Amino acid sequence: MNLPPVAIAWFGAMILFGVGLYGLLVVRNLIKLVVALQILAKAAMLAFVAAGYAQQQMGLAQSMIALIIVADTVVAVIALALAVQVRRRYGTLDVRQLTALRG
Amino acid sequence: MAALLIALAIALPWAGALAVWVAGDRRPRAQHGLAVFFAAAGGLCGLGLLGVPSSETVIRVPVGGVFGDFTFVPDGLGIFLAAIATVIGSMAVLFSVEYMKGEAQLGRYYAFVLLFIGAMAGLVLTSSLLLLFFFWEITALTSYALISFHNDDPKAVAGGIKALVITQLGGIGLLVGALVAYVNLGSYDIGLFLARSHSLPPQVLTVIAFGFLVAAAAKSAQVPFHTWLPDAMEAPTPVSALIHAATMVNAGVYVLARFSPAFEQVAGWSTAVALVGMVTALLAACMAVVTDDLKRVLAYSTVSQLGYMVFAIGAGSALAGSFHLLSHAVFKALLFLGAGAVIHAIGTRDMRQMGGLGRQMPWVSSMFLVGACALAGIPPMNGFWSKELVLETALGHGAWWGFVALLVGAGLTALYTARMVWSVFFGAPRAHHHAHDAGPAMRIPLVLLAFGTLTTWLLFGPFAHMLAEVLPGVHDESTLAFAVHVMTDPATWLAMGIVAGGLLLWHIRARLAALVGRLSLAAQVAAEGFGFETVNRFVTQAVRSTATALQRTQTGDLSWNAVGIVGALILVLILLAWGGIP
Repeated sequence: MNLPPVAIAWFGAMILFGVGLYGLLVVRNLIKLVVALQILAKAAMLAFVAAGYAQQQMGLAQSMIALIIVADTVVAVIALALAVQVRRRYGTLDVRQLTALRG
Repeated sequence: MAALLIALAIALPWAGALAVWVAGDRRPRAQHGLAVFFAAAGGLCGLGLLGVPSSETVIRVPVGGVFGDFTFVPDGLGIFLAAIATVIGSMAVLFSVEYMKGEAQLGRYYAFVLLFIGAMAGLVLTSSLLLLFFFWEITALTSYALISFHNDDPKAVAGGIKALVITQLGGIGLLVGALVAYVNLGSYDIGLFLARSHSLPPQVLTVIAFGFLVAAAAKSAQVPFHTWLPDAMEAPTPVSALIHAATMVNAGVYVLARFSPAFEQVAGWSTAVALVGMVTALLAACMAVVTDDLKRVLAYSTVSQLGYMVFAIGAGSALAGSFHLLSHAVFKALLFLGAGAVIHAIGTRDMRQMGGLGRQMPWVSSMFLVGACALAGIPPMNGFWSKELVLETALGHGAWWGFVALLVGAGLTALYTARMVWSVFFGAPRAHHHAHDAGPAMRIPLVLLAFGTLTTWLLFGPFAHMLAEVLPGVHDESTLAFAVHVMTDPATWLAMGIVAGGLLLWHIRARLAALVGRLSLAAQVAAEGFGFETVNRFVTQAVRSTATALQRTQTGDLSWNAVGIVGALILVLILLAWGGIP
């Protein structure tokens, strides 16, 4: 089997996306949820690498990825800070029990 | 200059809403002061706009994409309604200083009133259909929030929800009309729509015309949507005066007047509008005769007078409709604020517990009497002139059935006005009240509005001139020529005879007791709103039960919400792969 590098990166991105999505849907711990979100973002980055390589526009892809890294870090920091606050206020990190928005 | 004034007329009240909220409920004096300051500043801008009429687009904010441009045009029709909204708005706010003294949560009250004033000015000044819809919905939201202001009272909450549901139903008509217009013309611009309406396919124009009619009927409380307005009387009285008498309920009439040049070519539209107005004017007048709640009588009379305006537009004279709108806004605000002073003084709205208050409240009663004369159509008040103009339109455009119905309506108006004034201010006191007369913050708006009631008809000349530039078919006429032609028209004397007959009916009511007894069944039907109440209650109930059923989808569970987001994302991807939305 002799796959082109783009296809390998693309499959990698798909697998990462699947793992992240699965985590997002089933994980109950808020901190693990943040980890799942991070994996999703990594999938997006890898997809950008693959797309940039395929289109011969690595410069654009790299600048996009740099942007995602920054945004992603901010998301992680704020999400973890929120998780700390949630733990302090509700005494739990189980998202199934955090249903204050139920209609 | 015009651009600045438009921006200020909308932004000043909104800035005031923010300022009152920031000031906080612990400083009620600051809240009163800020609200009056910003409302009065907005009122001055509204008056200033009257000096710079133009049919050019003076503000254009490109938003891009499917939203088009957000445009504002200070033309005659728009600036006169903006002036009404901001000026009467500032009077209602000034009146509130005394009326709402000592109430909790003033921040919420003033913020919504000021938000409303700005949105109403925007609604009439914008020339973008989409923006018109946005402002339309903001006014509906503030109306709901203020009806339910006393949110510990179940009647106030129910009244607010009913008003919201019914006017939203109409809002759908407006949105559909706006979107259909956009799809066919590629623009939301109202001027463009009016200019190119004849090139639209007739069925498309029909959809837009009747969509807008539904929207206008719901907003202006016309049959069959009229029952929300009486229930809206749970709002604090200055709010009733401002939103539910002088301004917001006129938005429907405004939309009909604005678009009537385009819709007149739609088969059956004019007749439908005239019929809706006529039936509303008559039914609401009947209901006003048999109601005992002072504010509800005024609410029914508002519905009835709005029916006159809608009829005038349907009969082909947007000028008569708009002129009656101006008169009605002034005298009905006066009547509501007068009623507010009475209710504030004695703490009840039931007219059966009033009577003889004229001696205790000479100020309020004399001002109220001025407004009542205008409502009944007694010269020389502004209500007389504009009502005659509407009646004359009915006769002049061959709608004799409308003329007869509106004459009967005018007689009924005189009857219920006499009944209302008599039961509140004259006769023997039926309950022991220590009523105090209005204080200065109440007197200033009352006196100004009473002055307006006596004089706004003198502005007919400039008013007709302003509208003649906007609406085709309106011809310029000086005030003097107008007065002469109204006074020499036989229809005027016939109408005055009918009004006198209505007053006479009240005078000899004791002798008619037997007849009234025989009509008690009809009175009961009228008191129950001719069965429309059931329809409106059904609609409200259906919406509420749907909402309760949909409540289950809000689990508050993060995982389910993530499923929703991912599902929507997949849907978008599928649509994109499929080649976009056709």
